[in-house]
Amino acid sequence: MTNNNAYNIYKYAPPPKEAAEYIICVKDIVKSFYIGTPNELEILHKMSFNVPKGEFVSVVGQSGSGKSTLMNIIGALDRPTSGKYYLNGVDVSNAGDRMLSSIRNRQIGFVFQNFNLIARTSALKNIELPLLYAGISAKERRERANELLEIVEMSDRASHMPNELSGGQKQRIAIARAMANDPDIILADEPTGALDSKTGRLVMDLFHKLHKEKGKTIILITHNQELARETDRIITISDGNIIGDTGNRSASAPADIQKEGDV
Amino acid sequence: MALWENILMALSGLKANKMRAFLTMLGIIIGIGSVIAISTLGSIMEKSVTDIFNSQGGSNLVGFSITLKEDAARDYIYDDDFITADMIRDISEKFAEDIDAVSLSAGSADGKMNIRRKEYDVAVYGVNHGYIKQSMTGVIAGRYISEKDCEQIRNVCVISDKQAQKLFGSERNAIGKTISVNLTFGYSMDLTVVGIYEYQLTGIMSSMVNMMGEDWNNEIYMPYTTFNRTMGTNEDTFYYFNLNTNSGVDAKAFCEKVSNYLNNTYYRDNDSVEIYYQTAESQMEMINEVLGILQLAISVIAGISLLVGGIGVMNIMLVSVTERTREIGVRKAMGAPNSAIRMQFIIESVIICLIGGAVGILFGIALGNIAGVIVGTMAPPTIGSIVLAVGFSMAIGIFFGYYPANRAAKLDPIEALRYE
Repeated sequence: MTNNNAYNIYKYAPPPKEAAEYIICVKDIVKSFYIGTPNELEILHKMSFNVPKGEFVSVVGQSGSGKSTLMNIIGALDRPTSGKYYLNGVDVSNAGDRMLSSIRNRQIGFVFQNFNLIARTSALKNIELPLLYAGISAKERRERANELLEIVEMSDRASHMPNELSGGQKQRIAIARAMANDPDIILADEPTGALDSKTGRLVMDLFHKLHKEKGKTIILITHNQELARETDRIITISDGNIIGDTGNRSASAPADIQKEGDV
Repeated sequence: MALWENILMALSGLKANKMRAFLTMLGIIIGIGSVIAISTLGSIMEKSVTDIFNSQGGSNLVGFSITLKEDAARDYIYDDDFITADMIRDISEKFAEDIDAVSLSAGSADGKMNIRRKEYDVAVYGVNHGYIKQSMTGVIAGRYISEKDCEQIRNVCVISDKQAQKLFGSERNAIGKTISVNLTFGYSMDLTVVGIYEYQLTGIMSSMVNMMGEDWNNEIYMPYTTFNRTMGTNEDTFYYFNLNTNSGVDAKAFCEKVSNYLNNTYYRDNDSVEIYYQTAESQMEMINEVLGILQLAISVIAGISLLVGGIGVMNIMLVSVTERTREIGVRKAMGAPNSAIRMQFIIESVIICLIGGAVGILFGIALGNIAGVIVGTMAPPTIGSIVLAVGFSMAIGIFFGYYPANRAAKLDPIEALRYE
């Protein structure tokens, strides 16, 4: 990490001031596909925004709006075609596989719509996965995974296989897994999309708990305006541009958000 | 990431697809199994041949025979061309210090022997006193055919311990008894038993006996002179003779010396026939060479089956990678670098090959020893061949696992996560 910092200082222009202030700093990000072919496609057009540490942000937008592409870049699964992405003040726009995988491992916790637990692997082992790649010893992994099971109130399901769990239970295991290496950021992509409203509520409550009690920065990608309204801030994306951004800290004013959020 | 975790992961993956894992391993099992079986069988054969070789006098045994010259004037051999007893006496005196024993055989004849109104099959051999050296037997009672027996054309014989027991109850009882033998050609003779030899068969011989269910312990030895007279021959001539040199004598140089002497002295004026020699060592080398070629040929086949097995492993690993595309995506999202994914799949492939290799080794040892039981000699597989087999199966695992593993490692995490 420090190496990369030094690298940036010498090789490129120094990072903007806000890079140091915000946990996520996205600067003029462009993402294009099929580069160099006649059907070259620009998905994100010079997008910029910052997220302060500890904020619960929701990103809304219709499918095809570019929000998944943006999330892949923020999640260090992909690199922008141009522009800069500073994570914790470090430029990761051009990082290689080793660095990106390390970021995904330690700084970001992923929660997916379809849970993405590894089949034929117990709940406990699933939670241990990020710890495994962090090179933590078997004993410590076991201890940490059990702690996390307690946080998500799933201790009695430790040895269950994913196919023996309900959707809500799977998602709680997935959230515990996302928390394994105590990352700063939790990136949740439609986490309630495959759940009924009651279990969806439980999952959302869990996110609120992690936000309030653990001070996590949570980025929630959703279609659901009601869920988005529960968060501190809604970023609305359409056709690769941010068309709405509200630093809404008073979740009690749904009418205002409706205006901002509805596209 | 710990190696142990990868191994556990691979094992649980294999457990989930037992049948597939087994079928994949089958190629490796057969390949490694045949390599081990061949090397086991190879050492068994070698041991067997060496046993026979040593029991016949080892590198001291040499043979001389008459043969047609390359530029022979005729393409058949006259009675006059044969080696005479005089020639043999000549060289055994001339080269006395080099020669341990000369063994002569006038041939053999099948016949029947009547004892207490029961008929027994026998094979009668006309031999001299030196023949014992290469007959793989030892005298356990009485004596062998002597020089005097041959000179005086005595009606004596040596029978096996098995025959003695069968015919006279015990070895000691048999000495001095007379047996009458009717040969198939209509000749008959009465022979006094003067000695008992220990009947034993080694190696390949006994296996043949076992397989054919035939008892071969029916050999009776008698003086070659008596044998010839009984068959109506007055001349004691030989097509070939063997001799054992004293230890320390260079067999090849000795043979060269003796055959030169015989050719210069007795065959100088012969336009068609000369003496030709062979050492047991050169024959042994020939046998070993044939065995070696056989082993090589089967090894090549084993190698091909290993190659096919390896391709099978690669195929199944590619299927496994495709099936688990999503899992690979998840692992990458959880922070697995490309190298960890690559290692995971290489280890899985190595585990398949190692288990296959281990089963193959057991299978090969079993197979080799079943063959060993048939041949009558057991030999453990060499440690070297086991180490080689284990090393080879690991190498196959790495070699054929690398491509699929690399494909898994290079998957785009986003594409992989989206894979249905």
